[in-house]
Amino acid sequence: MPEAVQVQLKRGVLELCVLALLSKADAYAYDIASRLAAGIDMGEGTIYPLMRRMQTDGLVTTYLVESPAGPPRKYYKLTQTGQTSFIAQKAEWHAFSMAVDDILGGAK
Amino acid sequence: MSRQAFLNRLREGLRDMPAGAADDIIADYEAHFVEGEAAGRTEAEVAAALGDPGRLARELKAEAGLKQWEAQRNPTAAASAVFAVLGLGAIDVLILLPILLPIGGTLFGLAIVGVVLFGVGGFLFAIGPFIGAGSEIAAVMLAGLGVMAGGSSLGALTALATIGFVNALVWYGRLHMRLLKPALEPTEARS
Repeated sequence: MPEAVQVQLKRGVLELCVLALLSKADAYAYDIASRLAAGIDMGEGTIYPLMRRMQTDGLVTTYLVESPAGPPRKYYKLTQTGQTSFIAQKAEWHAFSMAVDDILGGAK
Repeated sequence: MSRQAFLNRLREGLRDMPAGAADDIIADYEAHFVEGEAAGRTEAEVAAALGDPGRLARELKAEAGLKQWEAQRNPTAAASAVFAVLGLGAIDVLILLPILLPIGGTLFGLAIVGVVLFGVGGFLFAIGPFIGAGSEIAAVMLAGLGVMAGGSSLGALTALATIGFVNALVWYGRLHMRLLKPALEPTEARS
């Protein structure tokens, strides 16, 4: 797949993936980054600009929890807005991927 | 790259951000190194997985500049949004420069003309009573008011055009943030 297409595809779903992870359980950035890096091969550093933007957009809030690894961990939690946005984006994704699958399925 | 080298380059890249905001960002990446080491990775592995600190700094700064513009439409925010987009250093922004500069210059010129017209109108209005006599006074004063009104409407139109221009630039800048780039350019990120 051409690199540019891959970049655009992944960028589009990155926020959706983070919303999905957080809808299951609150998490700290390192944890989110390593799960996404393993799953969709993204640069771990990109999680921080994304989390910052989601925080200013009011999709997530943070709180601190003591950590055995060192300084307290900053946990991210979905807000009500974040939850609503996740449900809407998930529905859009399903509709879109089903439409694409239909077309791909028909092609040889 | 060692943890210290990564953090130094990030700090260097964020130096024109407000100190508090830059410290917050750096603390995030410092915590990432601590977690990575606790998970048994070396500093070099963590740094490589994080990507290029210079590129990260440019995108973080650009995002902060664009947010500021969206929150408050004032000249300082406009300037920081424009510099943030240019700071992304995307090659197509450089290609756009020959178009951007004349537009920016024209807007700036129109703003100055507006201010000057306003001043000239005010001056005519003020000196009206001292020159001529009878109906001439009223005529000069009215002309002064007219010129002032012209100056302010030109100013207002220029402000609207400037806001539209900066919005377009912000939209363009957003298209050029490639948050995922480091993952797809392993050679650059790992050097």
